[in-house]
Amino acid sequence: MTGTPATYFNEREHQICLVARMVEDARTYWVAGGGSPMAAILLAKKLYAPNAVYVTEDGVVNPEPMLPLDPLMTMVSSRASYRALQWGTMNSIGFQAQTGLMDVGLLNTLQVDPYGNINSTALGDYNGEHRRFGGPGGADSIAAMCWRTILMTDQQKRKFVPRVDFISSPGWLDGTEGARERAGLPRGTGPESVVTPWAVFDYEDRYLRLAGVSPFVTVEQVLAEMSFEPKMSKEIKTLDTPTEEELEILRSELDQRGQITDVGKPIIRLDDGSYQFVEEQKEAKELPSSW
Amino acid sequence: MTDQLQIIAEGKGDFLKVDPDGFREYVRDHKQRAMNPKVMSEQEAIKTFVSDGDYLVYECNYLQRGPAALIREVIRQEKKDLWLGAKFTWVAAALLVGAGCVSKLDVGFFLFGPVVEEAIRSGKVKAYEYSNVVMTNRIMAGAMGLPFIPVRSFGGTDGFEHSGAKLIEDPYTGQPITIIPALNPDVALIHVHQSDVYGNARIFGTGISHVESALASKKVILSTEEIIDTEEIKRDPGRTTIPYHVVDAVVHLPYGAYPGECQGRYASDMGHVIEVVGATMRGWIPQYLDKYVHGVANHAEFMDKLVGYQRIKDITGRSTIKEGYGI
Repeated sequence: MTGTPATYFNEREHQICLVARMVEDARTYWVAGGGSPMAAILLAKKLYAPNAVYVTEDGVVNPEPMLPLDPLMTMVSSRASYRALQWGTMNSIGFQAQTGLMDVGLLNTLQVDPYGNINSTALGDYNGEHRRFGGPGGADSIAAMCWRTILMTDQQKRKFVPRVDFISSPGWLDGTEGARERAGLPRGTGPESVVTPWAVFDYEDRYLRLAGVSPFVTVEQVLAEMSFEPKMSKEIKTLDTPTEEELEILRSELDQRGQITDVGKPIIRLDDGSYQFVEEQKEAKELPSSW
Repeated sequence: MTDQLQIIAEGKGDFLKVDPDGFREYVRDHKQRAMNPKVMSEQEAIKTFVSDGDYLVYECNYLQRGPAALIREVIRQEKKDLWLGAKFTWVAAALLVGAGCVSKLDVGFFLFGPVVEEAIRSGKVKAYEYSNVVMTNRIMAGAMGLPFIPVRSFGGTDGFEHSGAKLIEDPYTGQPITIIPALNPDVALIHVHQSDVYGNARIFGTGISHVESALASKKVILSTEEIIDTEEIKRDPGRTTIPYHVVDAVVHLPYGAYPGECQGRYASDMGHVIEVVGATMRGWIPQYLDKYVHGVANHAEFMDKLVGYQRIKDITGRSTIKEGYGI
């Protein structure tokens, strides 16, 4: 990565920049909802991967959204679908994913487990006491049929659990080899990484592995915010923080109103080579940030 | 004889009875081939074509080109025991559940909140789990006249257990494949940009499964921003999104998607959207319905008394993107 390290950014901005730098040119990205996954792909297209293809959950191919979007109108609206190459439908894009045209899925989640399974349906006992959420939306099909999946979530103990309360969207299922294929899912697909503001994970033998940690937290802090132990990469990278160039685009073009980057998120300051949290961390609300 | 088809796993969820021959017979007996005008008021359309116990589909309500006014009329007429195809449904599921209209939900995605949560937890509403794509695939199968459709998603999820899906051994490849039951809803509510009096309708811009829903459903009610002449339809037949012979009622409802957007015509009313989302998240659906549904007799009165000229002017003015919307 090139650019001037920013001296003042919040956790969500940092996470969006981490994902933007993973985006590969000339690949299709099927993106669930709006929010931070949308910001990440759009930032990538502006700085790193101009020919990456942004495909919306509802089947709009490569729009140039007229930002800012109206509140809650992150999908299906005329501003979200502006200057696309094609206005498709849920079925048209679902079938294109089924034939293998969608390379990478980009998703948010409430809960994730060591096998990358995703819960957006219920917290607690589904058949008993639980908090109900909205369901998988398009994420189930994105996670099932894209070749690879990048998941965005927050680094919290209650989000990284040994077994999700409900598998809304499939990761490696029980983690055994061939589990996805035995469930009828397409061969050669599956989770690739999980990105939080504090860390980046990949998978080793279909089990979550800590691959990188942000410079403003320690490995121990990351592990303390997980309810299971991930595998550890031989060499845990220190993740790059946002550049001024990335934040300029994020703040002035992609998220002028701060709707995506959550103004309430903890702020980090880079001062004389060291990173510090500016204020106490606040409890994040249990709402999918894409809505 | 070949071996019996092997079912590897199956969901335990109830699903709308699959009956493609029954649907064909319904179509034979009820869908009007004659070009008869079908324009009527929203009261008459909902009264005639939505019955208690019906399976109802619609999409993107209160977001973009949703049948908002028609759904408010369903609530006003206090329909009961509906089964919702709750994909891309947003607040409408909460409004209909909060109004006591619903007994079952097939979930793709809906905006959760205490009203739906409590209804599901107490057993007043039964939820079956699918996803947005699986639901539109089911409707696609219904529109194709098939009993089921194989899909490459959904297998391995916990939703599968609470659905009508089955995992079988594909007789062609020998590999496991998920099949899902086709869906032929009783009623589709669809808001369109333009329609003639017979129901030849044009939709501009994106949608989720509006064409499939129109073709798959027994009764199809269109609300339309504009009634256009059939001569205009014939001038550009490639623009006809939904053909008249699947349509049962055409309701002329300008601003019928309010407070959602109707692409190319008007933007969403941000204030109202925030109000209704707030009501959904806080459990204030009854108060919302008292004011905006039961407080007025129909859509015209709703727009006159509760929305008013200034806000109509504002949302119309904010709809600045015209390319692609036939304007």
